[in-house]
Amino acid sequence: MESLPLTEPVLFVLLSLAEQPRHGYSILKDVERMSDGRVRLSTGTLYGALRRLLDGAWIERVEEDESPRDRRPYRLTSRGRRNLQLEVERMRHLTKLAAVRIARKEA
Amino acid sequence: MLSFYRWLLYLYPLGYRREYTDEMISVFRDAQADARAESLSARISFRARETWGLLVGAMHEHICVICGSHRSISLTRFDMRSEFRFPRSTVLLMSIIFGGVILAMEKANTIQVKYAAGAGSIWPSLPWFLGLTLLSACVIVLLIWGILFALGRSGTHRLANIQPCPNRTE
Repeated sequence: MESLPLTEPVLFVLLSLAEQPRHGYSILKDVERMSDGRVRLSTGTLYGALRRLLDGAWIERVEEDESPRDRRPYRLTSRGRRNLQLEVERMRHLTKLAAVRIARKEA
Repeated sequence: MLSFYRWLLYLYPLGYRREYTDEMISVFRDAQADARAESLSARISFRARETWGLLVGAMHEHICVICGSHRSISLTRFDMRSEFRFPRSTVLLMSIIFGGVILAMEKANTIQVKYAAGAGSIWPSLPWFLGLTLLSACVIVLLIWGILFALGRSGTHRLANIQPCPNRTE
């Protein structure tokens, strides 16, 4: 698939939304928590990623009447979830391959 | 910082601003409130990260507008590297260039003193030279920005969507 591999910020945003729908600030904090403070997204980076993910139909806005305009939640679409699974599978394969190669070298 | 942030948001294309400004300001406000409780270095890092993120984001959005489609811009490593890596390499590159310029100036002065026997130096003074370099860099950035803006306003990006005319043989 041509859109893989994903960048680290995009991967973290997708992982954050995989659990539950979140709005911008919640994604920001969740990414920071998941990466133990290593990845801190700026709002410019976050919304650039969200826009591209929306355009690619990987995520969508959750339309809620009670949510204010400046706190609109986003959620993964089935396409986004499928692509995330593909990326995780790719990484798993890579990790397995790396472990085998390293073990062979050590032996 | 919030007013500066709002000002930076004006660098984005109009459509983007209409869609995301409220959300971005709201998220920034919350993040800023968190940053206030942190150390001075963390606060400086936060401001630098936000400023850099907006500058890069705005440029990216303008390029997308000119190119005509966001779908052509993938989500891969090529176009969305982490913003934490770029400034370090930029600073390193700028330091090397700066060092090279200083060395070249020293060399030029030495050559001139040797061969022109007491004539004035090539550069009036270092501050003048640095000021002129900075000014030139600003003018070049403004020119590039102006060209991108003009291209966006002229509708050049729509040319990519033009379908070829059917062949009228009948």
